[in-house]
Amino acid sequence: MSQLQPLLEPEVTPLSVPAPRKHHRIPGWLSLLFENPKSRFGLVLIGFMILVAVIAPWISVNNPTDFNILATRQAPSWNHLFGTTDQGSDIFSQVVLGTRRSLILGASAALLATTLAATLGILAAYSGGIIDEIVNFLTNVFLVIPTIPLLIVISGYLNARGMTTMILVLGLTLWAFEARILRGQALSLKSRDFVHASKVAGESTRRIVFGEIMPNMISRIAAAFVLVFYIALLVDAGLEFLGLGDTTHVSWGMVLYWAQTNSTVLQGEWWPFLFPGLALVTTVVGLVFLLAGIDELSNPRLRTMKTKKRKKASR
Amino acid sequence: MTVVEPTVIPGAQTEARETLVEVRDLRVAYGDVVAVDGVNLSIAAGEILGLAGESGCGKTTIANTVMQVLRPPAEIVGGSILFRGDDLVGRKPEELRKYRWRNVSMVFQSAMNALNPVMRVGDQFVDMMRAHEHISKDDALARAGELLDLVGIDRRRTRAYAHELSGGMRQRVIIAMALALNPELVIMDEPTTALDVVVQREILQQIKDLQEQLGFAVLFITHDLSLLFEVAHRIAIMYAGEVVEEAPAAELRNAPRHPYTSGLVSSFPPLRGPIERMTGIPGSPPDLASPPAGCRFHPRCPNCVPEESELHRLQTTVRPVLRNVGPSHRVACHLVEQQR
Amino acid sequence: MRWFARRCLFYVFAIWVALTLNFLLPRLMPGDPAGGVLARLSPSQIQANPGIIQTYRALLGGGNKSVWQDYIAYLHRLTHFNLGISTSNYPAPVSEVIGRTLPYSIALVGVAVLLAFIIGTGIGMIAAWKRGGTVDTVFVPALMGLGAFPAFFTALLCVYFFGLKLGWFPIQHAYASGLVPGFNWAFVASALRHGELPVLVIMAAFTGGWVLNMRTVMINTISEDYVAMAQAKGLKDRRVMTRYAGRNAILPPLNGFAAQFAGAVGGLVFVEYVFSYPGAGLTLQQAALGNDYPLTQGLLLVFAFAVIVANFAMDMLNFLLDPRVRAS
Repeated sequence: MSQLQPLLEPEVTPLSVPAPRKHHRIPGWLSLLFENPKSRFGLVLIGFMILVAVIAPWISVNNPTDFNILATRQAPSWNHLFGTTDQGSDIFSQVVLGTRRSLILGASAALLATTLAATLGILAAYSGGIIDEIVNFLTNVFLVIPTIPLLIVISGYLNARGMTTMILVLGLTLWAFEARILRGQALSLKSRDFVHASKVAGESTRRIVFGEIMPNMISRIAAAFVLVFYIALLVDAGLEFLGLGDTTHVSWGMVLYWAQTNSTVLQGEWWPFLFPGLALVTTVVGLVFLLAGIDELSNPRLRTMKTKKRKKASR
Repeated sequence: MTVVEPTVIPGAQTEARETLVEVRDLRVAYGDVVAVDGVNLSIAAGEILGLAGESGCGKTTIANTVMQVLRPPAEIVGGSILFRGDDLVGRKPEELRKYRWRNVSMVFQSAMNALNPVMRVGDQFVDMMRAHEHISKDDALARAGELLDLVGIDRRRTRAYAHELSGGMRQRVIIAMALALNPELVIMDEPTTALDVVVQREILQQIKDLQEQLGFAVLFITHDLSLLFEVAHRIAIMYAGEVVEEAPAAELRNAPRHPYTSGLVSSFPPLRGPIERMTGIPGSPPDLASPPAGCRFHPRCPNCVPEESELHRLQTTVRPVLRNVGPSHRVACHLVEQQR
Repeated sequence: MRWFARRCLFYVFAIWVALTLNFLLPRLMPGDPAGGVLARLSPSQIQANPGIIQTYRALLGGGNKSVWQDYIAYLHRLTHFNLGISTSNYPAPVSEVIGRTLPYSIALVGVAVLLAFIIGTGIGMIAAWKRGGTVDTVFVPALMGLGAFPAFFTALLCVYFFGLKLGWFPIQHAYASGLVPGFNWAFVASALRHGELPVLVIMAAFTGGWVLNMRTVMINTISEDYVAMAQAKGLKDRRVMTRYAGRNAILPPLNGFAAQFAGAVGGLVFVEYVFSYPGAGLTLQQAALGNDYPLTQGLLLVFAFAVIVANFAMDMLNFLLDPRVRAS
């Protein structure tokens, strides 16, 4: 019977990766993301928020925290698109300027956390042994300690919570989410032939980790960045909402904090919380869709639409 | 592996038996891919019919269709399956539920995965029995024990979980389960493929013994033709969703007519005499999303050459149909037709 | 048993790390937390509580003893549940404040997480079983969309619409004012009524995750041979879905339960804050805002403990549900 087997082996069809179409001056990965409907939708939302952040100074009033006793607690109107606060500040300006700050803070924290997660995860996977054990254990412990309470306690200890401080705090607490996944990914890459080959060729550990393994995980690392980005946005806005974030800048969370502190909701005012909340949700939804798109691109099996049904006769 | 002589059941006797299952012009599609395209088969009561072919040729789809467990996106797009003369297509779900296992049971492709890993073996007998008849849990468990006895497993193993049993034991458990309701037909889909050769042999012997003892019919599906020569009375060969040849086991082995069958038969060594160069079959089966026109085997067929212009035209444009070339021997091949 | 021992070892270690982290945090922070706390008490208050300075120094650092002496004093005080006095609740000790507020939080988050788990996995199971059906095309995207909303925003929206505009739910506090907490019908009924909307908000945030998780695993499980065999055995559809496919598919998501629980504990803080719900979450926020470090320290410890206990409970459940784990 063994002789019969070679010709009866199941046919293995290579996964079809859509060939990137040639666009002018658009990098290949971006055009790929634009071809996937999910990531396209995500990119459009995020693009819009970035645009708002860039032009924020030109579309907002000069000082968004200006008091105006004559215009307190106004519902949205042409003068104040998103209404005004208890102090008569223009909520539209606050939200628009908050966009810039939220995006910068979220992206920086995500960059820090992803760098940490990727370095630690890959290093652990590659070196194995005691280093792997330690990193793995640290990750597991970090996952057991609830992040939000931890951040609340840390913020409580800090008397001055500037932007840089918050970036550091968020980056240093959020890395564990992805470290585990990236480690797993690196572990499977580690046993591939091309890594063995460079090892035999006598390349240095650093060269193998950063030159061979890292580039092959780029889509997974990008996904990690997007994931931590939106977690950081949510956590940051949440801390500000609790009055425990960066209090030196206008932000979405701070608008929400004042709305809550002044019990505007209970007085039937919906605009002080709706608009900053929507800005946050729009950004998060954009990032979630971008993430789903990246996942689909790197794992074609998740794709549902348009994929031609493969022959599946004998199952 | 040596090949023992098949149990020969005289053709006449087979003809006389009642037809149990008849598959008529069956077409099953997965979306736009037609995996089974116009298959006719019949299984007589008490008969062992072998069905062989490469993976992806539609064998398992036929098994699932007869068992009535096709899953979307697979659907029957044409033809009928008659069980004792009644068509199963279009029957109510509840009727089909009762038909399953009571009339036709199935031994699945991999014994490793066919048992629920988080349920005791005994309970898997019990819920099957209680789905079909009024029986107390204790009685059902007792019967499960007897069935395990029948296949040579300690009856206390009803308390075991699948991971506590060896591969061979799991397969026996499933065979015991398949016989629990005394079905008229047992479908065996690669029942021994996942097992090592020694265990394979034991299980095969056991299937033969039980079949002789209890007299159920078997649809034995495998990619391994040599197994079928050992157990089957009749063998049908499938290629790319079609049956290309069908004959009594001995006749198929000694005088295969379809070039594909010849290829399969010659791809394992003869029992006696010097080992010749094994030919095998070059090429690979076609993509069923766009099967070749005419005879589906023609791109791989050694007899399909442009020099024979008339034959070549037929082979590349006209689909051959199954025709009798002897009593109960049918072949779908232009070349064979021409030689007649 | 080896598995069991390994898990226990991990939990002991995790508890130790939580304790130690809690000890180190105030010492790593800029400034002198203990001094800040002491500054919040008047001299007469300090005098009324002999030993309070030593306790704060042991917990928060800044004294003249070595770190090791502090560490031993800290552990010693922990074993007596002595976490000092909460400055914002003077003269109540930290342990008393925690004991008073924690039951509300446990009830809230416990009920919400359990319901989210049951409903989420149930919907995920049905969605995968009938792919493209109503549940799959309506409920799944709706719940996932809800899950993308931050809990505090959902809470604010719910307070505004369902509480204020429609008047369906009470929107503030844990029970009607004027009632005294205790085991009497009026209080329990009022507490339940006040818990409804907060529970729904936490559920809204976390059900989607379960749905997605369960659906993905279930889709893979459905193609397993034992599911096909169960169907072939002539079992009723419902039984195949629950006892064969669902029963197996639920095991992997269960391992993510602890992470979800840790997330829900975070969401709890926001929800309690919006609803002015007097649980441990709101207390934590108030304590952090008011620099009541002994209280934040105690609460963080309690939250970490809760997550570890939830982890442990899930491990035990996994042990009960999966015979293969039991065997190894």
